[in-house]
Amino acid sequence: MKTEKQPVKTAAKPKVAFFDFACCEGCQLQITNFGELLLDVLGAVDVVEFREAISEKWDGDYDVVFIEGSIGDHHAEERLKKIRARAKVLIAYGSCATTGGVNGMKNSFELDEIRQSVYGKDYKLFDSTPTKRVDQVVKVDYYINGCPIYIPELVEVLKCALRGLPYSVPDNPVCAECKLNENVCMYERGLACLGPWTKAGCNSWCVNNGNICYGCRGEVTNPAKNANDVIGKYNLKPELIKAKFDMYNKCKEGVK
Amino acid sequence: MNYHILKKTELDGFVKKLAKTMKVCAPVAKGHNNFAFEEVTSAGEIALSYIPTILPPKKYFMPPREKMLDFDISEGKPKDTASFDSEKIALFGVHTCDLAGIQCLNMVFSEKPRDYNYILRKENVFIIGLECNGYCDTHASCALVGNHYPNGGYDLFFTDLGEKFIIHVGTQKGEELVEGMGLEKASPADLSALDKVREGKKKTFQNEIGVDPKSLPAIFAKGVDSKVWTDLGAKCVSCGNCTNVCPTCYCFDMADTINLDLKTGSRNRTWDSCQFETFATVAGGENFREERGARQRHRFYRKFKYPLDKFYRAFCTGCGRCTRTCMAKINLKDTLRALAAESK
Repeated sequence: MKTEKQPVKTAAKPKVAFFDFACCEGCQLQITNFGELLLDVLGAVDVVEFREAISEKWDGDYDVVFIEGSIGDHHAEERLKKIRARAKVLIAYGSCATTGGVNGMKNSFELDEIRQSVYGKDYKLFDSTPTKRVDQVVKVDYYINGCPIYIPELVEVLKCALRGLPYSVPDNPVCAECKLNENVCMYERGLACLGPWTKAGCNSWCVNNGNICYGCRGEVTNPAKNANDVIGKYNLKPELIKAKFDMYNKCKEGVK
Repeated sequence: MNYHILKKTELDGFVKKLAKTMKVCAPVAKGHNNFAFEEVTSAGEIALSYIPTILPPKKYFMPPREKMLDFDISEGKPKDTASFDSEKIALFGVHTCDLAGIQCLNMVFSEKPRDYNYILRKENVFIIGLECNGYCDTHASCALVGNHYPNGGYDLFFTDLGEKFIIHVGTQKGEELVEGMGLEKASPADLSALDKVREGKKKTFQNEIGVDPKSLPAIFAKGVDSKVWTDLGAKCVSCGNCTNVCPTCYCFDMADTINLDLKTGSRNRTWDSCQFETFATVAGGENFREERGARQRHRFYRKFKYPLDKFYRAFCTGCGRCTRTCMAKINLKDTLRALAAESK
């Protein structure tokens, strides 16, 4: 007896690609570390490019692209623009892409000076521009801050992107989540922590694990202008706080 | 008058017996003079002498993150199922300030529309209070609001009499527990020892700000445009610590999360804070409390003015947590003093 063949449902899954620029590729590594959750994610999307995990390439358009890394030379700018032209939705993920990250520290120096120190006397042969966040080059539809990204947040953003819904990066300080986790405040332990000025959304990941907040998610939109009371109460040096901020937030000052 | 006795040497046995029937949560030392209510299985883990915990016991009545319902939108009409998850717990060692905090929240969540998650969870919590024979530290202002003495809100209430605890039985559930454990009745000598402790507290606990609490509503009514709020605004970093640690702050945010199948999901609530810039921002970007000073003022009015009009009770319990946790040195007692001085 011939059984009728059930038509295989092939509702095309969204084509998703991952690209990296100036970064440590640690955010890609976070995704490969998904564990079981990866199976659910792969059930919802079709990953067509992901340099750290697969060798396939894709010629067509992308439904969603994830951009990791900051933009540090002319070639990177051109490449990013080409990817954007082929992508319906672009997600910047990781500190390098969303805030400039540690690469932003480059902008604290004269460009030629820093090129010389990295590339030596023939530095002019190596193209280099001041560090830019992804949104300083192309339009960004979604942001996933953090160094590295916080996996539960990536999944939330992916779901929003697949449903065409907006995602708002929390604009409360890390303290908001840290207190809910009932951590002993780092200031009580005698350590200067950037939690009060840094965007939440990581569930105070670092503090939960005994570390201070390094400000990797970038400053809240409207940080307190006057931190003198905090600096006074805990006997801190203002330069120390500023230097801590510069580690991840240097690109905030913009690129001329 | 229903009082029983528990020798301190028998406390461990008491906790262990209790832990066999329900989860026991008590203050535990976290280092750096910080404490938190956590699950314990023996008396040795409990910090009997502790300053108010980082989070008040409200976390057991309204968890910081709580699922409200599951939904399914795979077919035409969305389906939803209410979600409620709770276990029987005993809270041991709740100070009188925190008992007052729970009483305040009980009033808020019993108002219509009732919050069934809160009310059902509350039924699962057995509360054992613990008297403060002296001040925890200088940030407390419990005498100002009359919360240094017990005023109900517990199943059992412990007072330290040196070698033993005298236990006041507050409810039928409490009665059954002490009877079940076979705790002896208090003697007249024990009761006079309790009187002595209470008498001693009259001297130790004095109105901390030297302002008659009865005059506070009038002071607040006059203080809307006070410079005090501008000063607080200049200090505040909007971290939200003061409201998260407050035993009577209960504001929350609600959001739907969909699962990766994009068909099922859940509705969840999380504690929110009026100190956040996003809190009073509405569609279109208008913010009704844009300035930090206005947000701090709102917090104080939610403790000393609005609840008095509505519930005839101050919603400050005097625990001192907001002052203790503030990184920017915003001090509740100093703020009240400054406001009172201005209104003279």
